[in-house]
Amino acid sequence: MPIHEKSLIRPENLQVHENLEVEGVDVSGHWSTFIESRVVSDYNEAIEDEISALPGGENIHRCWQCGSCTNACTVHAINADFNPRYWIYLIRMGMESELLRDKDIIWQCVSCNKCTYACPRDVFPEGVMKATAHWLELKGHTPKSHSTIFDEIFSEQVIETGKIEDGRTIRRFFKQTGQALRQPWLEEMVKRMLRNLPIGMLTRMGMANFIQPKTSGWSGARDAIKEYVAEQEAHHRAALGLDDLVKMAETELKTGAAK
Amino acid sequence: MSKPILIVGGGPAGLAAAHSLATFGQSCIVVEKEDRLGGAPILEGYAKLVPSGEWAKDAIGGMVDRASGHELVDVRTSTSVTSFSGEAGDFTAGLSDGEPVNVSAAILCTGFTHFDSANKPEWGFGTYPDVVTTTQVEQMVSSGQGVRCPSDGRKPKRVAILLCVGSRDRQIGREWCSKICCTVSANMAMEIREELPDCHVYIYYMDIRTFGLYETKYYWKSQEEFKVKYIKARIAEVTSDGEKLIVKGEDTLVKRPITIPFDMVIHAIGMDPNVDNPDLSSIFGVDLEPHGYIDKASSYSASGLTNKSGVFVAGAATGPETIDDSIAQGKAAAMAVLEQRQLAARLVS
Repeated sequence: MPIHEKSLIRPENLQVHENLEVEGVDVSGHWSTFIESRVVSDYNEAIEDEISALPGGENIHRCWQCGSCTNACTVHAINADFNPRYWIYLIRMGMESELLRDKDIIWQCVSCNKCTYACPRDVFPEGVMKATAHWLELKGHTPKSHSTIFDEIFSEQVIETGKIEDGRTIRRFFKQTGQALRQPWLEEMVKRMLRNLPIGMLTRMGMANFIQPKTSGWSGARDAIKEYVAEQEAHHRAALGLDDLVKMAETELKTGAAK
Repeated sequence: MSKPILIVGGGPAGLAAAHSLATFGQSCIVVEKEDRLGGAPILEGYAKLVPSGEWAKDAIGGMVDRASGHELVDVRTSTSVTSFSGEAGDFTAGLSDGEPVNVSAAILCTGFTHFDSANKPEWGFGTYPDVVTTTQVEQMVSSGQGVRCPSDGRKPKRVAILLCVGSRDRQIGREWCSKICCTVSANMAMEIREELPDCHVYIYYMDIRTFGLYETKYYWKSQEEFKVKYIKARIAEVTSDGEKLIVKGEDTLVKRPITIPFDMVIHAIGMDPNVDNPDLSSIFGVDLEPHGYIDKASSYSASGLTNKSGVFVAGAATGPETIDDSIAQGKAAAMAVLEQRQLAARLVS
């Protein structure tokens, strides 16, 4: 359905009148109030600045609405509601309520970057999609996606130890996303590993579940990465006006430095 | 000693023609109806010119000094041509200051007239003081006053620039594109953002015609470095809620009506044919083309020819034109005059 017709038939704009009589004529039934709700009465100038402050969103202001990104888009080919060109416009013009209608599909970008190569203005639409999904999470419009949770668990472990231990990552991921640890595919994988891997490696993998191995001399790198991540987070939160969270990040920074 | 050449109009085209002719030893008379030379850039108080970025008073002022300081250039300000008779090589021009002059040819460098926004009353000019024209904003910048709302002198927080005011509008009999307003508006938007970084600037357009190399320097730069926002919408009307100006139209990219509040609305006014063109047409015997500009003959043999032998034309008298191209056309018309003189001399000998 064309974008401009979407607002005409939204369920929330439909009103039902059981008994409505106008000048003696019975006009009971469904009425759409689309005309009132279609008018854009102001621009919210903050949204573009907020999203452009997040990684990937930096070049959103370059867009001239040619539609190359949507044309090139892998996801758009499957779901016509997935329209990067349209969202970029909504963000630039500050049409927040319109953007939020699509909050549950924006994260579906598969990062194929076809749009990145199609874009004549180097807007980097794939980055904008990422920044927008991030913005929706930070603002609390969408819950943390599974991929964000996974990224957090993964990077937390790497930052902490300088190593990645698969078993620990998977267990924590399943726990945090409310999934059962006993998955048929996982059990099958473990069975085959037990059958085929050399005893030495199996022993090391098993031990790693109990003692967390660390890269030697890692603490300096760990502190530097942590400091950088905290800085970036503080910056993003400040840009989005999430003051309380910014204060928390600052406190973390201070206590971290004191240690 | 050959007869002088009559140059009508002392703007960029006329000044360029006069300087070229004088440099080649040809005397000329520059007739200017206003009290000083320089044309629109000087008389209307333009700020920085596109694309050089030089101040109009320096760039065009320099041309005025160079032409009027030349001993072979006879400048007659506050003067207009009242009659013109004879034939190529021997014309007599009657001037409003009395003395008729004998000239061998004439170059019409009579320019254009800015569109009067009062002819589009639905866009609020003349009704609301904070609806202004690009020319007025040029004056705010060139005077050093800065961009301020005329109603109370405050700094605007949000400015709308409406393109195609008096251009591409059959409703008011102006079908032409005025060619330079897109670029001038993009430049102006950047100037506003530079002076007032907190002020958001929106440009409402039908098409963006920042042709040629202006694309990078104005259209792209205004978006990429100055975050000017471009919205594809032809505005229906500009009204007021008592505090703010209200711009109404349709955002054609989302196909939704918009009613957006603004502090200041700028009309990017187009170029009309000079209001004097009907008079010039009858005095000099030159045809006007359908839009009302002076009609050019074929330009493959010589530049600036009109339908009348010995009468040449250059600059925005022929249609919307940039300053650079007006200057080039003034020089080309001067060259055409010199070519004609050379040919005549060869025929006589």
